[in-house]
Amino acid sequence: MRTSFSLKTKQIWKKWEFILFLVIVLEIVIFATKNSKFLMPRVLFGSMNDIISICIISLFVTFVMITGGIDIQAGSIVGLSSIILGVAWQDGGVNIWAASFLAMAAAGVCGGISGFFIAYCGVQPMVVTLGGSFLYTGIGLLVSKLSATESYKGINGFPESFLKLSKFKLFGVIPSQVIIFLILAVLAYILLHKTRYGRQVFLVGVNQNAAEYSGIHTKLIIMSTYVLSAVSASVAGIILTSYLGTAKSDIGATLTLPIITAVVLGGTLSTGGKGSVLGTALAAIAIGTLRFGLPLCFKVSQQYLDIPVGILLLVIIIGRAVFGRPELRTYLMKMKWNGKGN
Amino acid sequence: MKNILKNREVNSFLFLAGLIFLVGLINQSFWKPETIINCFNDSVVFTLLSAGIAFVILTGEIDVSIGAVLGLSAAVGATLLRDGYGIVAALPAAIIVGALVGLINGIGVAVLNIPSLIFTLGVNGVVRGIVYVYTKGAWVENLPANYTILSNRFLVGNVTYFYGAALVIVIIGHLILTKTRKGKYFVAVGDNAAGATLVGIPADKTKIIAYVLCGVFASMAGMIYASRIGFITPTAGNGYEMKAIAACVLGGLSLTGGIGSLAGASIGAVIMSSISRILVFLGFSSDYDNTITGFLLLTIVVINTAVQNRAALKNRHEILSARTAEKGGKKA
Repeated sequence: MRTSFSLKTKQIWKKWEFILFLVIVLEIVIFATKNSKFLMPRVLFGSMNDIISICIISLFVTFVMITGGIDIQAGSIVGLSSIILGVAWQDGGVNIWAASFLAMAAAGVCGGISGFFIAYCGVQPMVVTLGGSFLYTGIGLLVSKLSATESYKGINGFPESFLKLSKFKLFGVIPSQVIIFLILAVLAYILLHKTRYGRQVFLVGVNQNAAEYSGIHTKLIIMSTYVLSAVSASVAGIILTSYLGTAKSDIGATLTLPIITAVVLGGTLSTGGKGSVLGTALAAIAIGTLRFGLPLCFKVSQQYLDIPVGILLLVIIIGRAVFGRPELRTYLMKMKWNGKGN
Repeated sequence: MKNILKNREVNSFLFLAGLIFLVGLINQSFWKPETIINCFNDSVVFTLLSAGIAFVILTGEIDVSIGAVLGLSAAVGATLLRDGYGIVAALPAAIIVGALVGLINGIGVAVLNIPSLIFTLGVNGVVRGIVYVYTKGAWVENLPANYTILSNRFLVGNVTYFYGAALVIVIIGHLILTKTRKGKYFVAVGDNAAGATLVGIPADKTKIIAYVLCGVFASMAGMIYASRIGFITPTAGNGYEMKAIAACVLGGLSLTGGIGSLAGASIGAVIMSSISRILVFLGFSSDYDNTITGFLLLTIVVINTAVQNRAALKNRHEILSARTAEKGGKKA
């Protein structure tokens, strides 16, 4: 019984990335028939700019959720690293690349602090990262006060070489953000699915005690996943700063929920132990295509986009809940039969 | 005495009292009764929000859709008020909105068994989108003056009608949770859902009721929000869910469920919303608001967890030593 159940979930799981892939293809076909402009490479790749930070961060939040944790502070770290970068460059006179590195290091420390509380003090991940999101947003605001520029204006006037980070286009069509995302996705894939570290992350998520007894430093592994996700958030913050040309402390404020949506949609179990980088990447692209295609092809206003994304999430998780649990499916079937009988 | 100190809401209350005392030491003008009562008055929206989400958190689940529910019910209620239907129509309409969303959340979490964070996250997106559709992206303005002035009317002394009403609701809720048989179901389900089911408590039904209550409380908070602010933007209540959860944690609730109370949650809400006022009295700018909130939250949970872990360890030692003593006695 048990094996057949796990086999069944395994089969569904094997199909999961395939379903996501189908969703993306379906979206592209629908949007392309509605508006042929959609398929132009320049337009299609240009759409990546708006969702690139969600894509990048969700790759590494997958690690956190596989260990059974959750990270809702990533959005605030995006803003924090952006403003650290700006202030260090403008008011600290640091070289722009050194400033970027500084922002990444600071983000790593922030992730490390939260990870320490979660792994070594045993506090619930949700509470710690909730506290962290307040703390790091607040620190971001305080850092922005250090600058001579008013914080609501943001810091502008970055050097050309830094702005090029997001303006560069390979073969004239593929923007550098897409390339960075692909490189990071491959890196994350190798790290999670091909290395010893990745296996340890999975084992910690399946059973932390068993992992501990088999000689894995489970606490260190858990903490490291938060550092990883924080650093990826800072990378997203740097790219976003380069793309917008402005450093502000609140640019990541609305990212938290889309990130979690992407990870969950990608098939990662929120209870831990299961998930894949490929699934997250596909899910992020599916959400991004939806957010981009609806306004372009169906004239849906930007403000209403929460509804389709929310419905997509709800439909998929409800569908998975129904089909993932045979007893619920038979229960629903029975109800249907009864209804017909009457 | 020791029992009282172990009580988590008493701890939070002492923390709040200590905070007020300390701030008063630095700035004497904080000690005026009206200043302190104003801290309570200003927390009314968060008091209702966190009391509502406390039901859900007590059962061991979470609801991140209440910010959007607040926004939607405030928009619905405010439109009815603006169009001259009066509070008799607006309040029930808002409450129905909240209860409906709560019911959907409850069914998704309890019946379909979807992790609550994820399900309510999806609902949050949909409800926030509906706010935009309903308001067409515009502000709801021109609320009747006799409604907006209500937030400045005093019941007794400096206590506003709204805070008085919220206080009564919280006290009733607290008494139901702690004194009645059905009320204790919430804590029982959060403490051990499987065990609760085994002793005959309808765990699924309890969770659904918790979500409905949470939605209703959020919609009442929305109506008060409408009166206090006087206009509703489509983003009204954005991020309030996180602040309400933070307030619950400050008030001694455990996010794993089964620990805490409504009284604790409402005290946490006062602490949470007083921080910016306290900062002003200490001579800081309110820019420190988030930093202090985050710092407080982290410190309190880390200390709480450390104390808990130590108590658990001590308990284990006591049980072990009692067992060995028993064995020794038998041998002799």
